[in-house]
Amino acid sequence: MEILQLIQANLLTPIILFFLFGIIAARIKSDLKIPEAISEFLPIYLLAAIGLHGGIEMRNAGFENMLIPMVVAIGISLLFTLNHYQILRRLGKFNLFDSYALASTYGAVGAVTFSVGLSFLKNQGVTSEGYLAAILAVLEPVSFIMAIFLTNMAVAKQIRAKKQSFTNDDVSDIEMGLQETKTKLSQVLHESITGKAIVILLGCIVIGYIIGEEGFTSIKIVFDGMFTGAIVIFMIEMGIIAGQRLDDLKKVGIFLISFAIIMPTFNGVIGVLVATAIGLSLGGAVMFGLLLASASFIAAPAILRHAIPEAKPSLYITSALGITFPYNIIILLPIMFVVSSIAHDVEGSIDLFNYITQDWT
Amino acid sequence: MKFYNVKLLTVTCEILAQKNIIEILKKHEITGYTTYEVEGNGARGLRGQGFKNEKNVKVEIIMREDKLSDIVEEISRTMFANFAIVLYVSDVGVVRTEKF
Repeated sequence: MEILQLIQANLLTPIILFFLFGIIAARIKSDLKIPEAISEFLPIYLLAAIGLHGGIEMRNAGFENMLIPMVVAIGISLLFTLNHYQILRRLGKFNLFDSYALASTYGAVGAVTFSVGLSFLKNQGVTSEGYLAAILAVLEPVSFIMAIFLTNMAVAKQIRAKKQSFTNDDVSDIEMGLQETKTKLSQVLHESITGKAIVILLGCIVIGYIIGEEGFTSIKIVFDGMFTGAIVIFMIEMGIIAGQRLDDLKKVGIFLISFAIIMPTFNGVIGVLVATAIGLSLGGAVMFGLLLASASFIAAPAILRHAIPEAKPSLYITSALGITFPYNIIILLPIMFVVSSIAHDVEGSIDLFNYITQDWT
Repeated sequence: MKFYNVKLLTVTCEILAQKNIIEILKKHEITGYTTYEVEGNGARGLRGQGFKNEKNVKVEIIMREDKLSDIVEEISRTMFANFAIVLYVSDVGVVRTEKF
């Protein structure tokens, strides 16, 4: 009951309404479009704001308590990527390349989804741990690196198997193939770490850490006051792009559509519970769950198109942007919020119980 | 004025494939090229909507004939299967042939 009410309330927030408005605009084939420069600028702005907030809060709270959540997040993200791969490959019957590309898209994080989550929490009057911004930055390349590594291993294995069966084959060609996979991985590492998303995020975390609350007051109006407004403008663009892609949903197939809904739900709820267990706050657990539930649709094509060009981009972009993103921000966020509230309540009562028993003994 | 015959290779491809093309050119010691962002429709659907990543790019390279077939061969072998890409070759005349 509570979940339904929260979803209903969430539907009527500006962010979601503007997103739906964008979809409608695209469906009626309007020529409405956010100018390219602005739609490129907004993700940078959002990441800058997230980074600054993260940096400031890390200055207040310190680094120590960040380590465990970060290690846990990396571990879970890798496990989930492997899990996605098995499901896609075995149950979905996708080929090796599509499976790894999709697995890593869903293992990676979405910065836009993260921004929407922050503003959802703000709306609910709940705060979250600032260091989650740092986890966002670290998680961004992790699952891609693993998926690309595993893809290259699998390809190299196939090449080696072929080499053994045709011993008189052109060896130099095969060695070249092996070499290529090696250089590919280092390129991807370099590309994803120097990519604009991570650079702006980490840069702003450092700046936020240096300037602190005091230094922030002079730029607060831009990076705090305008945050939700900027998301709203970006949501029009996201809605338009998602709306244009709705036709492609038929090509994606029923299996991937259900995967794009069930997987984030599973990942997100597990994320919320794990985060609660390692001591994150109510809001922090929601954001932690959202990190694991979200799929990457801006960074993913840029990385995967180079690293796994054999994978069909229409599959991973359409499912991440057309299904998972709207599902996450409209339905899953309220669900995770309720799960987190319940989990924190339960834990609170256990703590209380311990406290009382301790008092008695 | 005397014009010297060289080849113009034009490649229209998705923007994320531009890097691959330029790497291939580098491998064959060609450093000069011109690119511009374009939109269009083709076998892989309408290109140029949505994110910048999904735009197309047109790469023009002027080169001598002797390098042409190697480069075209490498582009076709490594990229035709996986990328939205079209290439064509035309004859052009240049004044300063030593530049290419």
